[in-house]
Amino acid sequence: MAEDEARAPMKTVVYSCPFVPAEWIAAHGLVPKRIIPSINHDAAPSGLTQGLCPYADAFTCEAIADSTLGAIIFTTVCDQMRRIPETLPPETTATVFVLNVPTTWETASVHKLYRNEIERLGRFLCALGGATPSDDRLSEVVLDYDRKRADLRSLRDRLTARHFSEAIARFHRGESLGVEVDPTPHVIHAGASGTRIALAGGPILQHHFDLFDIVDEAGGVIVLDATGTGERTLLPPVDRRLARVDPLAALADAYFGRIPDAFRRPNSELYAWLKREFALRSVQAVLYVRHTWCDTWQAEAQRMKEWCGLPFLTIESGGDNHVDGRTLSRIQSFMEVVQ
Amino acid sequence: MSDAPRMITLSEWDDRYEELVATGLEEPAYGGPLSRHVADGDLRLRTLLFDNSAAALRLWNFLLTEEERLTAARASGKKLIGTMKDLGTVPVIAYSASELVAFYPDGAWWIPCVMELSAGLLGIADSLGIDESFCPVRAMLGAFATEAHFPIPDLLICSVGATCDDFSAIAQRLSSLGHPIVWWEAPARRRPEQGEESVLLPGGFRATVGQVAFMKSELERLRQILEKEAGATIDDSALTAGIKAANRVRRILGALRLTVYRADASPLPALEMLIAEMLAIHFCSDREESARVLQGLLDEARSRQASHLGVLPEDAVRVFWVNPVADLRVMNLLEKCGGRVCGSEFLFSHALDEIPEDLPPMEALARMALADPMIGGAGDRADRVCADIELFGAEGLLISRIPGASHCATEGEVIRDRVRSRLDIPVQEIEVPPVSDSLLPTLSTRIEALVETALQRREK
Repeated sequence: MAEDEARAPMKTVVYSCPFVPAEWIAAHGLVPKRIIPSINHDAAPSGLTQGLCPYADAFTCEAIADSTLGAIIFTTVCDQMRRIPETLPPETTATVFVLNVPTTWETASVHKLYRNEIERLGRFLCALGGATPSDDRLSEVVLDYDRKRADLRSLRDRLTARHFSEAIARFHRGESLGVEVDPTPHVIHAGASGTRIALAGGPILQHHFDLFDIVDEAGGVIVLDATGTGERTLLPPVDRRLARVDPLAALADAYFGRIPDAFRRPNSELYAWLKREFALRSVQAVLYVRHTWCDTWQAEAQRMKEWCGLPFLTIESGGDNHVDGRTLSRIQSFMEVVQ
Repeated sequence: MSDAPRMITLSEWDDRYEELVATGLEEPAYGGPLSRHVADGDLRLRTLLFDNSAAALRLWNFLLTEEERLTAARASGKKLIGTMKDLGTVPVIAYSASELVAFYPDGAWWIPCVMELSAGLLGIADSLGIDESFCPVRAMLGAFATEAHFPIPDLLICSVGATCDDFSAIAQRLSSLGHPIVWWEAPARRRPEQGEESVLLPGGFRATVGQVAFMKSELERLRQILEKEAGATIDDSALTAGIKAANRVRRILGALRLTVYRADASPLPALEMLIAEMLAIHFCSDREESARVLQGLLDEARSRQASHLGVLPEDAVRVFWVNPVADLRVMNLLEKCGGRVCGSEFLFSHALDEIPEDLPPMEALARMALADPMIGGAGDRADRVCADIELFGAEGLLISRIPGASHCATEGEVIRDRVRSRLDIPVQEIEVPPVSDSLLPTLSTRIEALVETALQRREK
């Protein structure tokens, strides 16, 4: 038997947070898999319901239900995610790592703290069976991911909004893009018909992809997926020169320094990004998704509404695994008003 | 009226006050009858039961006159530092400069309770998009908007990172409303991994040397910002003096907790002990006076203990309390249900433990800051709770969930399970809103269940 064939299959490391560098995991010889969870009422419950955000609960349920996983990574981006590992059921098979992602970002010391955390993650990955990558190997992986992301971004104007967001999700899951590209420029181009909607908020669940169709059927078009699972957290191009000489620095700089999010303090970069993207996509109204008990995005809803001055609809995602009738009706009414 | 310790109503305090004055009560400038605070809107006082000692009177008057002290401090040329969320760390640095006075706008979380919702602060928070899904500290937003409860600070400093999402989100909202904030990072404290060098923190937790170094760098940054605000240097000798002064307060409070929580008959009620513990966080804006107030309580407690006198029956069930309550009245409720507080973990145990004096001051402060129960795991908190339950001999544990608080969804279960498995004592959880009157029957039932279970175990 060839040596390669005798090797154990590479372990999968699952996570949901955009601040976990997939390249680092891949360069260690493991499989990174960033998932968008779905609410599965048949799954074993996490055991935590009262006051727990349904997204955090869904991620936990999905991760612990998969006995094939090598590890689950939680991060400190969310207080509840930070605390969940202490409450996991004893039968959880995957090992767990909690990555400390600093909330502040304006000082050199927190950038260093993040890099130290990535190095600590590396030690964890080695304990899991991975191998510390050489700089050359890491550089190769970083640049490869960067190219793939560039390819992905280039699809944006040739896919429907839903297909593009789903393609981003597939990329993060480590799957091939597998999309059928429409040869004609598609609806998310500037000038497309229908009220131009930005989908904003925190990370979405699987069933929220239906929002794209709901908006479409109501005469609108989602021109920007600014949720925590969409374009907003698709890593921008890395510094390719730095990636060749110090790939870990390039990785840390890109992940820690360039993903805008509501949890950052201050979170001014989120608004700088939104300002730019709203203008580029000529956004006319905002559909804002937040999960029950998610303080970070709940607090941002009113502020964002005041900031953008556009028609703004907040929908709350509870424990359902579908867009419920009331929410559907609200979106339809909203679309009627803004057209 | 006799001097025997007992709990009295506000109206009874008026008579008691006259009696004390007639017998030569000496009061500080902020003294006076308690009932006068009702005219200021502190309506909740009407429903509370208070300890009847002069020391308790001084405690309450000290607490309820903080706004006046802050206003006077500003008038005298001092700068007001609004420190947020760290609950005990930054004030030690700030009070090391005589030009600065630090206080916690977070304290506004009790305003809806104390003013029985009459100030409308929660409604203002609602209007700003911070609804009841957040913890009651959202009242702070309303307090800033109305500028009616404390002077707007000259500088705001807020710890974020491994803190609760509620506070971080609310502070960001505050910043967006035109109140600039200096943010600093509190990293998630974690157990040292194999091969990692670590140090012991006050209170018994451990942290890695790397985390201590990071925390130290953050506090150094704050020191420089505070120096600029003060217009004066806060050098190591000033910090050392500041730590010693803070430790003096902590030592008195530590002695008070030991005296009260371990006594056979509780010398002081739960409510006064809660207020006393709060003084350690920022000294209620007057460090030296807070030490005197606490010393008065300690003297009273010791005197009562020496005379075998208490405010509650000796057979009251000894309960350890986790988390602060949004409604002060619930502290009275425990005692009505046959319990007494014997130990507490109000989320600021790092403000109670003495700061090491045998280390360079910034190293000592960094270790103290890392001992914050909020930034570590619930398992750490549970270990601390277990140790303190054994220290104080508590027979039951009451976990008070904070409505809407991000950490309360998970930590109660961790603490409950660990305490049950390690100590085999009954545990009860309650959730207390800012004004709990309509829930009192339900809360009573739950607390009585805890008390009765503990009593049954005594019989075995």
